[in-house]
Amino acid sequence: MTSLLVSILVIVAVFGLYLATISGRHTQQASDFVDGGQSLPPWVIIFAGAGITLASLSLSDHLVLLSTFGLQYNQVAVGIICVALVAALTQKRLWLASRLTSLRTLGDLLGDYFGSTTLRIFMLVLLFLFTIPFAAMALSQAGELVDASTAGDIPSGLAIWAIAFALFVCSVIGGWRGTAYFVAAQSLLVLALLLFFGGFTGFTVGKLAFTAGGIATTGGVLPDMIPGVIQFTAGIGKELPIGGIWTTFAGLTFALSLGGIAISPGFSFLGMTSKPHRGFAFGQVWMIAGVAAGALILVGPILAGEIAAGGSLTAFTARLASLDQMVAVGFIVLLVAASQIAVAFFAGSGASICTVELTSRYIVPGMDQRTTRFAARVTLALVYGAVAIAASYAPLGATIFSSLTLSLSVQLLPAVLGLCWVRWISRSGVLTGLIVGGLFVVFTESFGLALFERLFIDLPWGRWPLSVHSAGWGLIPNFAACLLVSLFTRSGAERDRRDRLHDAFEKSQPARNGNPAATTAKWSLTLLWAFFALGPGAILGNKFFSEPIFAGTVVAPGVPSLLIWQVLFWFVGVFIVWWLAYQGRLSVIDQLPRHQINLVPDVNPLFEPTTTPWIARLLDRVTGR
Amino acid sequence: MTPLGPNETLDRHALVMACWLAAALPAAFLFDYGFGQGGAPYLLSGFAIILAGFVAHVIVNAVYGTGFSPRELGLGLIIYGFGLVLFVALSLVGAPLAAHNFMPLSVGFITTGAVVIFYLIIRYGARQAFEGFDAIRDFRSGDRDPARSTGGSE
Repeated sequence: MTSLLVSILVIVAVFGLYLATISGRHTQQASDFVDGGQSLPPWVIIFAGAGITLASLSLSDHLVLLSTFGLQYNQVAVGIICVALVAALTQKRLWLASRLTSLRTLGDLLGDYFGSTTLRIFMLVLLFLFTIPFAAMALSQAGELVDASTAGDIPSGLAIWAIAFALFVCSVIGGWRGTAYFVAAQSLLVLALLLFFGGFTGFTVGKLAFTAGGIATTGGVLPDMIPGVIQFTAGIGKELPIGGIWTTFAGLTFALSLGGIAISPGFSFLGMTSKPHRGFAFGQVWMIAGVAAGALILVGPILAGEIAAGGSLTAFTARLASLDQMVAVGFIVLLVAASQIAVAFFAGSGASICTVELTSRYIVPGMDQRTTRFAARVTLALVYGAVAIAASYAPLGATIFSSLTLSLSVQLLPAVLGLCWVRWISRSGVLTGLIVGGLFVVFTESFGLALFERLFIDLPWGRWPLSVHSAGWGLIPNFAACLLVSLFTRSGAERDRRDRLHDAFEKSQPARNGNPAATTAKWSLTLLWAFFALGPGAILGNKFFSEPIFAGTVVAPGVPSLLIWQVLFWFVGVFIVWWLAYQGRLSVIDQLPRHQINLVPDVNPLFEPTTTPWIARLLDRVTGR
Repeated sequence: MTPLGPNETLDRHALVMACWLAAALPAAFLFDYGFGQGGAPYLLSGFAIILAGFVAHVIVNAVYGTGFSPRELGLGLIIYGFGLVLFVALSLVGAPLAAHNFMPLSVGFITTGAVVIFYLIIRYGARQAFEGFDAIRDFRSGDRDPARSTGGSE
């Protein structure tokens, strides 16, 4: 099995290297290396979006958690539609703002739009959380998978460094375009393999045993049911929730945290560096909400049922190997490829954004094209080195830090909504909300709890108190503070620059929501969907199809009632995203923006980049040779 | 058909490669399992996935407004021909393979060939599709007329 696994992983690596080489050869200008000439094809956006969403969930973790908690955890797969919804709300407007202002990253856009250096710093912190701990966690999981499946023939450390080196070589040769090609191709592969293994396991391994027996949960976890709307527990680490942690509030708030993927610096960068086509709408509706969510909702339980029956992921792989070695290797390749997407995407985008936002702006301003490419390559080397070191020597630390990433990312939602739609959201409002929301996130996640309790005293709550995810804990005070403060500061000094962007939006792409009734219907339906699919209404799914209220009898639908509920609301969710993205024109770019605007016309010495000539001279010496 | 720019040619090529990677690996797993415990249904499923890859390639061509490039045509014909020759040789030499897998493999190869011919007829018409492979006429005329090539420009 070892040689077969290595062979297939090498084939995938050679494929990546080929894509990187051909895209490296086609790079016309050195700065194209950093942003792909802002002309990534629509298919990259379409496939990469779905793959990044799956990779951000961590596919192997998802399957293991699904086998542990049963269908209550499958609510997370329904929550993927939230990624599509948030992307539909923001992606097109961010792209437009980027083209109108010639700013290439979300950090630059938010920094200039709100005139805030604090926001820039927050974005950089968030970027590093995605780029290093999050990618390190994914890489560490890939290493563990290879180690376990080869029975120690390839130790995890070797696997981690080999995968990191292969991905680094692809990125350093192909630049952002090569990385994006590789990520999109891997995403397509992951989607194909996920569907393949759903079918193969369902028809060959378990003969669709899941549909009859459900997922065999243990340890007091309710089998294939949501344990309640909310549980009044002190949280993980303090009290054991009865019947499982995944209440409807846990599912809903976790889904909100998934929205953080769509407004993460890397995902936004991917959108901003794309060509203007219909890729946004197609990717959001059919690939993220349709294929990615659907594959997880339908295939996840089949695989999880077999994993639960075997007791572990390794036992399931061994069972596949007893049927066919190559199929077992394929399953490992699926999980490793999903992790590779996360590593390649977050490390690659992180290095590019870092070059644009940090190196070009503050460390060595005014770099020529050749130096920019060199700086990007150095950043890539540093990032991949840090990721591999963290994955090898501090996987626990990486996991603890990365638990903050999505929850902190979604705290940017008020700021991004302000930039895209709501011009009266002010800098003070956004900053107040971010601070409050960030504190709530930190103190409801392992990082803040461990840090506080080691330094001071034990807190009375654990992780995710009241079975509400940290993203939910953060978003509620964040929105409240942001809206309240914005109400009083909406006409502040920086209002002019905010108006400038929104006026430009109106000129180039006016929002066409149709008549007020249609607009109300769209958003009411979205909220209703959220209530029944993820919110408290989802609890009805436990018995809705097996014990219908009006029938007064018990029926046997053949599959758990909750799964039917989830599939039903997946269909409705895809329809809603389609309605908003296509009919509501939220994701369709009708015409290109014709004029440019300057968000920061007045020179403020506080925001001017600091020149550091000694670093420039040093770089010049190295690149000049 | 408007010729593609360098970036678009690259985009199309990368997409084609991605489609075939996503099709080839599951197909390989199905063929491997089909030759082992799985049998005919899995071998036929393997061919179905290859055909899905072909359909994806045709869709990519339609999206970018191109046809198959000469290299793609050549590679496809070589792989198909090599597979067919290998199948015939193994069927003649190895009795077990012929006994267990002759029918599904024959059906698979015939279907694949039929789908390709069907595509060519739909795309170019019967006459032009035939002329694309009319090597004897090409030899007679001395040099190949590019206007009769089935591979569209990129």
